[in-house]
Amino acid sequence: MLTPLQAIKKKRAEAVNRIVSKGYLSTKRVYVGMATCEIAAGSKEVMDVFRQAIANGLTDVYLSQKGCAGRCNLEPTVEVVEEGKIPVKYGRVTPQRARDIVERHLKKGEIIAEWVI
Amino acid sequence: MDVKETRYKLTLCDGTACIHNHSKAVQQALETELDKHGLKDSVSIHLSGCLGMCTKGPILIVNPGYIMYGRVQVEDVPEIVESHLVNNKAVTRLIITEDHLYNRFFRIFGDVDFFGKQMRIALRNCGIIDPENIDNYLSLRGYEALAKALETMTPGQVIEEVKKSGLRGRGGAGFPTGLKWEFTANQDSDEKYVICNADEGDPGAFMDRSAIEGDPHTVLEGMMIGGYAIGAGKGIIYIRAEYPLAIKRLEKAIASAREHGLLGENILGSDFAFDIEIRLGAGAFVCGEETALIHSIEGHRGMPRPRPPYPSVKGLFGKPTLINNVETWANIPVILLDGADWFNTVGTETSKGTKVFAVAGRVQNTGLVEVPMGTTLREIIYDICGGIPNGKRFKAVQTGGPSGGCLPEHYLDTEIDYESLAKAGSIMGSGGMIVIDEDSCMVSLARFFLEFTQDESCGKCTPCREGTKRMYEILTRITEGQGQPGDIEKLQRLGEMIKHSSLCGLGQSAPNPVLSTIENFREEYEEHIQDKKCRAGQCTALLSYTINDKCVGCGACKRVCPVNAIEGVRKEKHRILQEVCIRCGQCYEVCKFDAITKA
Repeated sequence: MLTPLQAIKKKRAEAVNRIVSKGYLSTKRVYVGMATCEIAAGSKEVMDVFRQAIANGLTDVYLSQKGCAGRCNLEPTVEVVEEGKIPVKYGRVTPQRARDIVERHLKKGEIIAEWVI
Repeated sequence: MDVKETRYKLTLCDGTACIHNHSKAVQQALETELDKHGLKDSVSIHLSGCLGMCTKGPILIVNPGYIMYGRVQVEDVPEIVESHLVNNKAVTRLIITEDHLYNRFFRIFGDVDFFGKQMRIALRNCGIIDPENIDNYLSLRGYEALAKALETMTPGQVIEEVKKSGLRGRGGAGFPTGLKWEFTANQDSDEKYVICNADEGDPGAFMDRSAIEGDPHTVLEGMMIGGYAIGAGKGIIYIRAEYPLAIKRLEKAIASAREHGLLGENILGSDFAFDIEIRLGAGAFVCGEETALIHSIEGHRGMPRPRPPYPSVKGLFGKPTLINNVETWANIPVILLDGADWFNTVGTETSKGTKVFAVAGRVQNTGLVEVPMGTTLREIIYDICGGIPNGKRFKAVQTGGPSGGCLPEHYLDTEIDYESLAKAGSIMGSGGMIVIDEDSCMVSLARFFLEFTQDESCGKCTPCREGTKRMYEILTRITEGQGQPGDIEKLQRLGEMIKHSSLCGLGQSAPNPVLSTIENFREEYEEHIQDKKCRAGQCTALLSYTINDKCVGCGACKRVCPVNAIEGVRKEKHRILQEVCIRCGQCYEVCKFDAITKA
């Protein structure tokens, strides 16, 4: 019988495994803000662009939603996080910008400086 | 800034304790060393507010990798630069290894100015994790605080820890949380309840919504710990139906917690049993008041009742009930894991920890800000939120929503805590913060808030029901140019009466916006009443538009006027018929010759 602390540590290890098995360690993690405020600013459409790109064969990307970080006037926000690199934070991401982020950043590694927060 | 070039971003703590420990000298040394190695363009230095590890200061965080160095001395700087920044090898002897719950956002947002002075405890996971996936929460030491409480602490010890932390209610009143827990725990009853007050109703406030939408599990974990501490088996989250996404995420979080054996019988193998359900509110502002909220859950009309007895003695269905706000609950896991001794190093003498503010209105960066208590209004409005846009002048900041007051410029350097805001004539409230610039009329603003409160008054007690309505009528009269001498005094007298004789917090605080604007902006009221002038140009009834000699008779104003109040022959000076004019200002907007005078 496990004690509560042992039990929670086991759960944590299992949780980490599940996240990793979903591709968390892929080269690029993409987080799309999906709180009410972000959705109102258009993040659902942005999310769809990334989903569609993955359905169309974009690989090595771990796509996740996230809550609101509090940057109201720059929403929708998208972060691209790569191990060993400074996370790139994009603001006011429209579906068109999202398509560009897929083509230029995720596929070619170019950071689109003008949209960076 | 060329983003591609930046290889490392350094965050240096710029809090008082670290400055005292010579962080400024470290910063200088860093700049010199970076220069020496030609790294000036590829490594950037950012200053942060207090990082909360004062005993280990000065603190330096190196990103990417979120390597945190402690007690960094000037002598250590060459080694850090050479080893870590040039050769990519971290300096092990200086690394702080403890995995704190707070401030995780620095990993991602450490280089954005907006976040620099923030400290995130309640919102620690917001915007970082997937709120709909319990694995994300579990992977960040989620529910470990609950496990720790169940395994290593008695309920009494949990309460002691919360008391020692100095945490006070984040819903507005600021009552010491630990005491509330103790009162409820001391009640002898076979049935007790834990309630999360998520009935966020202040106009412009969205702290609780964001907290729940971004990290619902932390609220659940806080409630479970509360349930364990006071001996309750059931928790209820009272949330307004206007927050469908927050509700959906809570439902999902509760379902996943049940699947993982974190809710229900024998939680984590212990003999503690607890479950949580959601009750939806219909959006009445008064239901944020605890006794009205309890009535609403019981199925009655949401109306407050006199206290005592307090809910901790006689609450939901007559049983002892512990009610805390979303943000208060979200602090609990951090207090248990990082310790009360750490928590009460953050903040001021009387107010510990952090507070989340929803900053809106006339600021460059509107948003959600969590800062240590004791941060000044100026730091929030100027350093974090980027100041007033379009070169306009700061006029006032309204804190605490419709129950708060308006603080003018000379309060900007006030260090915020429960006491200092009360002393200044406002309140902490739930954390709404509306910034007002010179274009806003203070009388209209007070009228706006009174319109809200008189509408939301439940009607049970006379001072609030009748009083707020009369105040609203007087304010309306003033903004329409019908103000009479003596109105200001009448408003003050009424306001004081309502404050002292209302049944609940709604009425007791409703006059605050009026009283504080009279106190700080009395001349604007006088101008409205005596001179029939609104200096901000917002009260349309007090405006008049006239055409001056610059008019060339182009006819643009005449074409745009919706009520045909402008007459004139082409190429000759036009005229506005004052009795027809509705003061919409369209002529003023359209005139290219500056020929329309607004007064």
